[in-house]
Amino acid sequence: MSIIVCPACDLAHRLASAPATGRMRCARCRAPLQRPENAAVDTAIALAICALVLLLLTNAYPLVTMQINGSSRDTTLIGAALGLYAQGFDSLAALVFLTTVIGPLLQIGALLYVLIPLWRGRRAPGQGTVLRVFTQVRTWSFMEVFLLGALAALVRLAKFAHITPGIALWSCVLLMLCLSELISITSPEQLWRWVERSRQ
Amino acid sequence: MNGPITGRSLGLLVCLACRATVHGTPAAHLRCPRCRARLHERKPHSLAITTALVIASAVLYVPANLLPVMTTREFLEADEPDTIMSGVLVLLHSGSWPIAVLVFIASIVVPMLKILALAVLLYSAWRPSTRRRQQRSDLFRMVEFIGRWSMLDVYAVSLLATLVQIQSFASIIVGWGAWAFGAVVVLTLLAARTFDERLLWDTPRHD
Repeated sequence: MSIIVCPACDLAHRLASAPATGRMRCARCRAPLQRPENAAVDTAIALAICALVLLLLTNAYPLVTMQINGSSRDTTLIGAALGLYAQGFDSLAALVFLTTVIGPLLQIGALLYVLIPLWRGRRAPGQGTVLRVFTQVRTWSFMEVFLLGALAALVRLAKFAHITPGIALWSCVLLMLCLSELISITSPEQLWRWVERSRQ
Repeated sequence: MNGPITGRSLGLLVCLACRATVHGTPAAHLRCPRCRARLHERKPHSLAITTALVIASAVLYVPANLLPVMTTREFLEADEPDTIMSGVLVLLHSGSWPIAVLVFIASIVVPMLKILALAVLLYSAWRPSTRRRQQRSDLFRMVEFIGRWSMLDVYAVSLLATLVQIQSFASIIVGWGAWAFGAVVVLTLLAARTFDERLLWDTPRHD
């Protein structure tokens, strides 16, 4: 018999055994109490590697190419942040860079750093610290918001210029899907369950 | 014992980083035995910090909406400044009303709703009552969920300003409205993070 405390309203729940499936909600405030076991380490590693490849593609190729009056311009994901930097808006550039490049990179990197040794039955040095950093940055990638923002910008440009979507725009869509799935199967509870199981 | 049995009444703490339940009374520098994150019974100075952040974002909300987020400069034409609202109107006139509605909701409705909702939550955390606590809890979760969407316009401006730089023909210059807007988004995201939801449920003491 164990007791879990709701992180959203502090109500204590007595638990005979953790249910294997189904989402448990707090009896008082309906907040999710503990996410169920919903994935294997292998799945998370596969998804993280997939996301890493997509992130590299997204940053290596242009997002869009714009043609107007015979001249053409394109930009990459990092280019969008650099554009703000070039106009003297350093902090805004940092915000865009952090949420579209550094955020996803840290998430994927931290997960792979901890999960690959776990999968081989070992322990990464500084595992606890890395996981703690991960729980801080796990909601920091704004890929889906970025994509809709890009859509709004392109709609405005399409009126007077010819717009060609680049490879990075498509890989960015895939990256968004991949990251949202990855984040949903690597809740802090789930990560620590994997860690504790490997200790036994 | 009166009232619901809570972690506080049992001397149990929950680690917000890894969700472990820990026995112990809140002392300075208490750390989670599992993930070593700092443990607190409630987030320290939650109300004061959140209030400061909400006030700052409410103040910045004004220039974010009044100052141009970008200015379009075209050859032989007058500069054309665009605020967030006029950007929405441009989208509307170019015939893409779904995008216009989307930008309107993400950039104008969401930030305002977030600031108002946080103000309501702060007020009710200061004066805890047992009425409609569930709705307030839901309100907080909504604020957390919609928070990131107001970044949409910042991304749109960054792309426009990067792409439209055609020598002497046309260029887009970022305005301070975009900076203020980005600041509002960050401040409200932080405010949602520093606010301790449990304060909404703590029973007022009658002693």
